[in-house]
Amino acid sequence: MLSCVMQCSRMSNFRLLLAEAALKGVAEARARIFGHVLNPTGLPSGNKILRKKLIGEKVAAWYPYDIKRDDPLVMAREEKARLSKLEMQKRRGKAAPKKGQGRRALKRNK
Amino acid sequence: MSTKNGGENRFPLETRNIRDHKCRLLADKFELKRIFHKAMSKDNSLPSEMRDEHRIELSKLPRNSSFTRIVNRCVFTGRARAVYKMFRMSRIVFRDLADKGALTGVKKSSW
Repeated sequence: MLSCVMQCSRMSNFRLLLAEAALKGVAEARARIFGHVLNPTGLPSGNKILRKKLIGEKVAAWYPYDIKRDDPLVMAREEKARLSKLEMQKRRGKAAPKKGQGRRALKRNK
Repeated sequence: MSTKNGGENRFPLETRNIRDHKCRLLADKFELKRIFHKAMSKDNSLPSEMRDEHRIELSKLPRNSSFTRIVNRCVFTGRARAVYKMFRMSRIVFRDLADKGALTGVKKSSW
């Protein structure tokens, strides 16, 4: 009777062991198939951060590309227009003062 | 990375947009480094001194390279609020252009 009970308990132990091993194997296989990272301890491992997609390129492309900038002719024309406008302003005495020559800077110097 | 889609050749006109654009280029440049240091500093299996080192490295990165500093701004006006991601413009510009029919596939309707 006693031996029978012992055998029973040993059997159940063995079965538990088997079940555990099988479960572990299943978890490993699942992780391998789906490309997961096994982390049985549950401690932070940084994987959450590493598995994110890289978004830098998409983020950097928010502002549209200006074709105008590729054409040196157009750029030269714009530069010319800017300079001529400056010239006009200077002639009328409306140009921006040099650094340190403005109204506030003069006031501070006094 | 940024040269691939012409990051340096994009010239936003508004002052705020120019600033934001600089942030974006920096964020793109330091993205990999940031992710690496972040992951290493979060990894519990590493010794704590090593994690601290990575944390320090993370704090040494330029502040403007952080993704949280980036704001989605209106491409036309630089408005920071009510900007539609899909069109990259603020509600005001969007309504203007949509009323003119300048946006393909956008139609006014009410029900």
